[in-house]
Amino acid sequence: MNSGESRQVELDTRLRRLHGGLDAGAGFEGRVMRRIATAATTAPRENLRAQFELRRTQLRRRLLREAWTSGITIMGIGACAFALLWRFAPDIQRAATGPSPLNDPNLLIGGTIAFLAGAIWFVFRRARG
Amino acid sequence: MPADDAIISLIQAGRAGEAFERLMPAYRRRVFGLAYSLLRDRGAAEDTAQEVFVKLWQALPRYDGRAQLSTWIYAITRNAAISALRRRRRSVSLSDPLVEQEVESRGARPAAEPEDEGLWRAVGTLPDKQRQAVTLYYQEERTVEEVAAMMGLPVNTVKTHLHRARAALATALGAEGREDA
Repeated sequence: MNSGESRQVELDTRLRRLHGGLDAGAGFEGRVMRRIATAATTAPRENLRAQFELRRTQLRRRLLREAWTSGITIMGIGACAFALLWRFAPDIQRAATGPSPLNDPNLLIGGTIAFLAGAIWFVFRRARG
Repeated sequence: MPADDAIISLIQAGRAGEAFERLMPAYRRRVFGLAYSLLRDRGAAEDTAQEVFVKLWQALPRYDGRAQLSTWIYAITRNAAISALRRRRRSVSLSDPLVEQEVESRGARPAAEPEDEGLWRAVGTLPDKQRQAVTLYYQEERTVEEVAAMMGLPVNTVKTHLHRARAALATALGAEGREDA
């Protein structure tokens, strides 16, 4: 064996001596079993708490998402309504200030009959089921 | 591994409690060694090893045999040790670095002969993966394949780490010997 090899063997021996005693302390198993006993009594409560927290977080996220969606929808409808008002402003003004179509008796009678017919159809349809 | 086969048979027979009783002595040293190789602190390694066995006790009935038992246990141990390292880094950043350094230097050291002090210091200066490979390889009569499984690395990578670590240690000890002379 040359000097390089003997140095390597000596290094191996010393490294084994240095790391060979590396082990958990005495009574390790007992400590683990005590932790398991503690975990067994607290686990159901912890699980319940974790589930509650998870549901709360999910609900909060869902409400936030719905608030954003509703907000964007309302803004869209508002923008459309404003555009329509802007586009048809003269017609709306004319309709509001001009003679009312309700003053025409034929239209009033026709409208009332149509409304009553619609209501009767709806009632019959619901009754049939 | 024959012990693993017996443990797996017990789990499959729905006797997880008995399986755990066999598993703990069979894996205690390996789990502790792996935790120690990552954490470099006996107290923290023991705490992590305990945590790993509690997790194993909880998860053992759900072990489905898709991964090897040892691979599964080593993965749980590595994850637990990495989490412990993260927790320690967070707490270290909030406390006095000098105190932490002192605590670490005291806690990290395994029981060594006085003449091995220099070697211990040299091991401490190795890069993390090399130091981890050396710790696991020399803790027990382990094969490189087993060390590779523990570290979750390819066998050839572990061989390279061990080769480089031995070379670095031999150089460091040679220099120390010359200084002493």
